[in-house]
Amino acid sequence: MDGLSLAFLITVLRVALPLGYAALGELVAERAGVLNIGVEGMMLVGAFAAYHIGVATDSVLIAMVFAILASVLLSACFAFFVIVRVADPIVCGAALNILALGVTGTLHRTLAGRMNAATVAPQADGMMLILIFALVAIGIVVLLRTTRAGLTLRAVGESAQAAYAQGIPVKKVRWNGILFGGAMAGLAGASLVLWVSDTFVEGMTNGRGFVALVLVLFGGYRVGRMTVGALVFGLATALQFRLQALGFEIPYDLLLMLPYVLTLAVLVFLGDRVKGPADLARPFYG
Amino acid sequence: MLRAVKHLMYGFAVVMAGLFLGCQSGSDSTSEAGFKVALATPGSIRDAGWNQSAYEGLLRIEKELGAEIAHQETRTPQDFEAAFRDFAARGFDLVFGHGFEYQDAAAKVGRKFPDTVFITTSGNTIRPNVSPIVFELEQATYVLGFVAGSISRRAKIGAIGGIKIPSVESTFLAFREGAKRAPRRVNYRSSYIGNWTDVAAAREATLAQIAEGVDVLIHNANEAAHGFFQAAKESDGVLVFGTNRNQNDLAPQSVLASAILDIPRALLLVAREVESEQFWSRSIRFGLRDDVVKVDWNEALAAELPAGVRDAADALAKEIRQGTVQVPRGNF
Repeated sequence: MDGLSLAFLITVLRVALPLGYAALGELVAERAGVLNIGVEGMMLVGAFAAYHIGVATDSVLIAMVFAILASVLLSACFAFFVIVRVADPIVCGAALNILALGVTGTLHRTLAGRMNAATVAPQADGMMLILIFALVAIGIVVLLRTTRAGLTLRAVGESAQAAYAQGIPVKKVRWNGILFGGAMAGLAGASLVLWVSDTFVEGMTNGRGFVALVLVLFGGYRVGRMTVGALVFGLATALQFRLQALGFEIPYDLLLMLPYVLTLAVLVFLGDRVKGPADLARPFYG
Repeated sequence: MLRAVKHLMYGFAVVMAGLFLGCQSGSDSTSEAGFKVALATPGSIRDAGWNQSAYEGLLRIEKELGAEIAHQETRTPQDFEAAFRDFAARGFDLVFGHGFEYQDAAAKVGRKFPDTVFITTSGNTIRPNVSPIVFELEQATYVLGFVAGSISRRAKIGAIGGIKIPSVESTFLAFREGAKRAPRRVNYRSSYIGNWTDVAAAREATLAQIAEGVDVLIHNANEAAHGFFQAAKESDGVLVFGTNRNQNDLAPQSVLASAILDIPRALLLVAREVESEQFWSRSIRFGLRDDVVKVDWNEALAAELPAGVRDAADALAKEIRQGTVQVPRGNF
């Protein structure tokens, strides 16, 4: 493979990977019946932690661990309100996004004021991040399809009441789903800072969390399709930047739209009419 | 009810301001400490960018003119107006609204307070006591375009933008036109990422241009430009330019020069004018001639420039200062 197409492939992977991580976590949470639209905010917190901890310790591993912890902490807040207080998940998710944007922005301004603007985060090995994703993705597929824990998780998502009647600890399962979603969003944010770019900027996730939500939905809640969706998004993004660089006289707005349109088209084309977990985003009072 | 309260508070504010002013004029009517300057910014003054530079300007005005200063962060058009009204009622002589978005509030409040001068740091709204500052950054990007055209080995230069808004397009237009003054013809490409914060997208957009053979690039993408510099750092033989601030140290091995805006100086110049009662309302244009717009060279990369290019660039800048060369700018 020549240098040009290798660079193209790497761009595809760099765009796809954070989406893949975020969508994988959301997929598990949604299969447990929890709709968390706060993925964007959790990613942002993960990115923020990865940058500042990465700069402070110069260690990719520690940065990743703290990104996961920060994001899990935020998802625990979400879980508290949605599961314990039985609040509306959409409202809580939206609040999470706003909270994350405000908190990371304020803290970053305070911290960055004392830093050299040229300070960059330590860089991770992209292949390692992709490998971790592949392992976790395969693990999730195996878990959901073949294990009792996976069956339990799906049961809770399909009918929390029925699962509860069977003696399944519904709330505990949902807690786990949400926290796993948080951990993956943290990794998504970390990969954004440690591999895809090398710094933190307010609002740098720029809607990736919402793209992840759409990948889960149109990927029919299946890991494989969702991953294909993320790769198509990456491919279309890389392609449209090449088209812009070639100097075609196409309005750039249309080119920037390409990834969204193409990904939707592919996923809709792939999907037989899948319906999501029946109990998705329904309150459970048990 | 709310309306009544508002009127009552407004009346109260006016009375208080009157009392305050009355007392003040009684105590010191001659000292120049009476000069009062206020600033409203749309964001935090610790953003290491647009807003911080305006606040630095305010501090310079305090230091150099001995003015009494005040600052307020304002987020919504209602805030803009309330802040302006408050400043004017407190007898401020000069109020800066830091951005295009302050024009309506300036025109509205300016009508009621004719003794206060309102300056927006962008825009086109002009009233007897309301004027915009227009920064002619194009003059610097024009010079940089000439440099780019002169040094590009593969005769391809490029620009990476955030959103395609008139002010960004205008700086790129000047860059492109400047390149036409170079000895040989070069190809020009521009890419936009569609926002100002997506660092990763800026990196990929820049890498895509580099993959197409572009080897000298400029940006106008605010925060997202970190990705632009990252791409420059990881690509051999690529030279880039910074914009708005001196960004030479963001990638010292790749940034040849920055087109910068000295916002503190611009505010100071306007404040001096208002203080000495020389102010007249107009579109206040600041460019190379006023030392508000400048080209800051990265001396560490001086060796990268072929002989004569730097001198030719300086000569071009001089001609722009003298007005013998007109720099094209977008119509906005």
